Amino acid sequence: MSFLDTLKRSWNGLLGTRHIKGSRRGTANYSYLNARVRGMKSYLFPKETYPRLMNMEIDQIARFIQESAYKEDVDQLAQTYEGADLIEHALNRNLAESFTKLINISEDEPKYLITEYLRKFDVWNIKTILRGKQMNASPGEIKENLVSAGEYTYTFLSGLAEKESVEEVVEAFSDSSYYSILKKFDGTNLSDVENMLDKMYYDQLYYAVSETKTKEFKLFLQFVQTEIDVRNLITLFRTKKENLPEDEILDMMIDNGLVFDMDDIRKLVPLSFEEFIDELKKYSIWDKISDVVDPDMKSLISVETSLKKYALTYARKFAHANPLSIATIMYYILTKNNEVNNLRIVVRGKSAGLPDETIRNQLVI
Amino acid sequence: MVEPSIWTNPEGWKAIGAALAVGISAIATALAQREIGSAAVGAMIENEALFGKGLILTVIPEAIVIFGLVVALIIVG
Repeated sequence: MSFLDTLKRSWNGLLGTRHIKGSRRGTANYSYLNARVRGMKSYLFPKETYPRLMNMEIDQIARFIQESAYKEDVDQLAQTYEGADLIEHALNRNLAESFTKLINISEDEPKYLITEYLRKFDVWNIKTILRGKQMNASPGEIKENLVSAGEYTYTFLSGLAEKESVEEVVEAFSDSSYYSILKKFDGTNLSDVENMLDKMYYDQLYYAVSETKTKEFKLFLQFVQTEIDVRNLITLFRTKKENLPEDEILDMMIDNGLVFDMDDIRKLVPLSFEEFIDELKKYSIWDKISDVVDPDMKSLISVETSLKKYALTYARKFAHANPLSIATIMYYILTKNNEVNNLRIVVRGKSAGLPDETIRNQLVI
Repeated sequence: MVEPSIWTNPEGWKAIGAALAVGISAIATALAQREIGSAAVGAMIENEALFGKGLILTVIPEAIVIFGLVVALIIVG
């Protein structure tokens, strides 16, 4: 490690960021990484777990989770939290630990790709803190939703959650690329800032990856583009249902999708909900959602669940077709994230007293 | 008396053939073992019970270099 690297690492430590960026070049040991990731994946809950969880009380779920891969997280947090809060904190901690582990055990090319992808959690955390501050949530409530799987450490982020004002939070990011967007926040335009942060994340990710034309980068790019498609479609369904004005919808759209590029989206945006659904029939993705989409549908939950399932199935097929590549790792990241989301839905749904049917519809299995 | 040329001495060619048979098959084994070995170590870190299976899978490519060795012995012998 050169003197400059050491200096950079200490500087990053001072700023509350991890030194995690891998190099684009170099030989990557995919066989080692894939074996470890498959090992980590074997600890995930099988599909059959969710119906069992549905029949349990919160405390039973906590005990069940404590006996699984989440043991260490539940043990460590059991003194501070209890019930649904304990599970939520343990899940987030475990998610952050698992993804940080991925970064630590990888090197060069996969490390670069994983790091770029996990910046998603930086954006998520910034949005969580801003939203929390805007709604006057307590630091404890904000910390509950922080997932320090990206570049920023938990200590840095929880320090921000403790800050008094939004301005102080925004100032803390003055050295980052997010600052140009965050400084536009005036207390009233939170949703615009959130949209801009999301778009910036996907733009940066796309350009960071699309410049290099190796096999792994191309595979990774297809994952990202599929994710963009799914996000755009979910936004389109929601906004079309609510009849939002065209320019507002276009502002939320993310460029560089795989099936839907910006021209397709511009074609879809001016249509009414019924016409939009008719137009969707021309695309390959229609097969995946045709059985749950209906022009008179009241709730979009089933469509959103189907689309998320589509993203997972796509990732699974890709991982099977491309063993010993970044595809297996991306599939793990998606399934792990999905598992935590599912568990969170069960726990939060149960603690809010929602009917089992409502919770079951939200699960992506 | 004229010195025998290395190009016309059959013993020399045999030795070179044997060396190539062992050398190239050893490189092939090494390449295969690099991948399998690192994957086995990765799997073992996640689950220690895989030590036995990992070890067996890692030594399987040894067969390649043993075949090379047999061919070399036949050539030389």
